[in-house]
Amino acid sequence: MGLLSRALELAGIASVVTSWLGSVTRLTKPPRATFTRLQRGATLGQPGDAAQQLRVLRATLALLEQDAPLAPITLAEE
Amino acid sequence: MPEIFDSPTEWQAQYESVWLAHYEANGAIDWSLYPRPRNQEAVGGPGIPLAESRLLFVTSAGAYLPAAQEPFAAENDLGDYGIRTIPSNTPLAEIAFAHTHYPHDAVNADPQVLLPLRHLESLRDEGVIGELAPAFVSFMGYQPDVPRVVAETAPRVVAFAKEAAVRAALLVPA
Repeated sequence: MGLLSRALELAGIASVVTSWLGSVTRLTKPPRATFTRLQRGATLGQPGDAAQQLRVLRATLALLEQDAPLAPITLAEE
Repeated sequence: MPEIFDSPTEWQAQYESVWLAHYEANGAIDWSLYPRPRNQEAVGGPGIPLAESRLLFVTSAGAYLPAAQEPFAAENDLGDYGIRTIPSNTPLAEIAFAHTHYPHDAVNADPQVLLPLRHLESLRDEGVIGELAPAFVSFMGYQPDVPRVVAETAPRVVAFAKEAAVRAALLVPA
């Protein structure tokens, strides 16, 4: 997803990615990213926890307002 | 000038001579041999006013519409580089997931852990997002051949984003 995020940004489309595997996503240098400690298969939060999913979404989407490249933001979500 | 992927030639040599050669010789994948793609140079661009912008959602969860679309080739050890586009207002119960490289228990219990279509509608209704693209992009994120992602998947996603006239994109891997 980091590479696709770069492809979109290079095409003039502001892009942001959220990842539970920041150590790998970071290597691709995406323009904007949030990293969590959530699990594979549940990237936005725990099943049934809409509040957590929305927190991750809001924090990630907020980065679109900022000029890139940005240093990835670590969210306290697990 | 930054690229999507800085070092495709060096990466391809490592991929073919080590990871792919092992797979072809043994019929089994050894991830310890896989060269993770790396970039040296960051890419950048201006931020956008999200409340006035159209947003494209992109998922690598292998989502597709079983009533109308072919599933991704989830069992192919060498990946699937195609995309599907799905109307953003599709009921979540009508979407299936063809991807065998992540556990499906969470997404089966609550699809919005990977596919936040209703949450994005709420954020639009709240005014956080200006509007949502009429459809979102889905692909199956098991794609070991990185230059193929650059040459095939990325142009398809970018072309759809341009056609949908979006200013911003949210990418959620599985």
